[in-house]
Amino acid sequence: MQNTDEPLIYTIKGNLPIKDLNYSHSWEDTDTYMKFIETYTLDGEIVKQSAHVYIKQGQQLNSELEKI
Amino acid sequence: MANTQAVPKTFRLDLLNGLHAFGTSVVRGTTAADAFKAALYLATATINADSTAYTATGEVSGSGYTAGGIAVTNATAPANTGGTGVVAFWTPSASLAFGTVTLSTSFDCVMLYNNTAAGKNAVSVNTFGATTVTAATFTLTMPTNDLTNGLIRIA
Repeated sequence: MQNTDEPLIYTIKGNLPIKDLNYSHSWEDTDTYMKFIETYTLDGEIVKQSAHVYIKQGQQLNSELEKI
Repeated sequence: MANTQAVPKTFRLDLLNGLHAFGTSVVRGTTAADAFKAALYLATATINADSTAYTATGEVSGSGYTAGGIAVTNATAPANTGGTGVVAFWTPSASLAFGTVTLSTSFDCVMLYNNTAAGKNAVSVNTFGATTVTAATFTLTMPTNDLTNGLIRIA
């Protein structure tokens, strides 16, 4: 029996077959964060795009004590 | 022995736990930790060190996003461990995941704020470059919760 199930993915246009979409991904790596972006397009239009950011380091307050 | 002037190590930790009030403070109804939230802001907004509290001005809007943002998971109390104890630090204990959202206008900033405080006082502001999301999840993974990387550190 042939499996006719087609993998779908949720997009702004509803559930679409993954095979019909173009996939691309990109990275941004800076001193303070790293970002991973995944993009699916259909006929050049972005129909799904996720972004995941890793904050490498938070922020620090430095206390100072004046001499009396 | 000799005396040495210093800011006591525990003072920094006490600040994060709200144990001191040198000015007029608030009546606290409980000893429980406050609740914090995270809101996203457009790249065109002006959120910075002068931002004193949560504001809807400049906040993102779009499918799946609720004004005010999402709750911050706070299961790990502030600490000053891992070194000499001079640095107190705190980091949300889970990533910030903004469900299935569509945010078509570029955003680049997240503000953490105290949602228990009546004034919704700002806690931290982090930027991460212009971003858009379409029918997907936006995730902010927190830094390692230690004295050199924690999201908020007092040294």
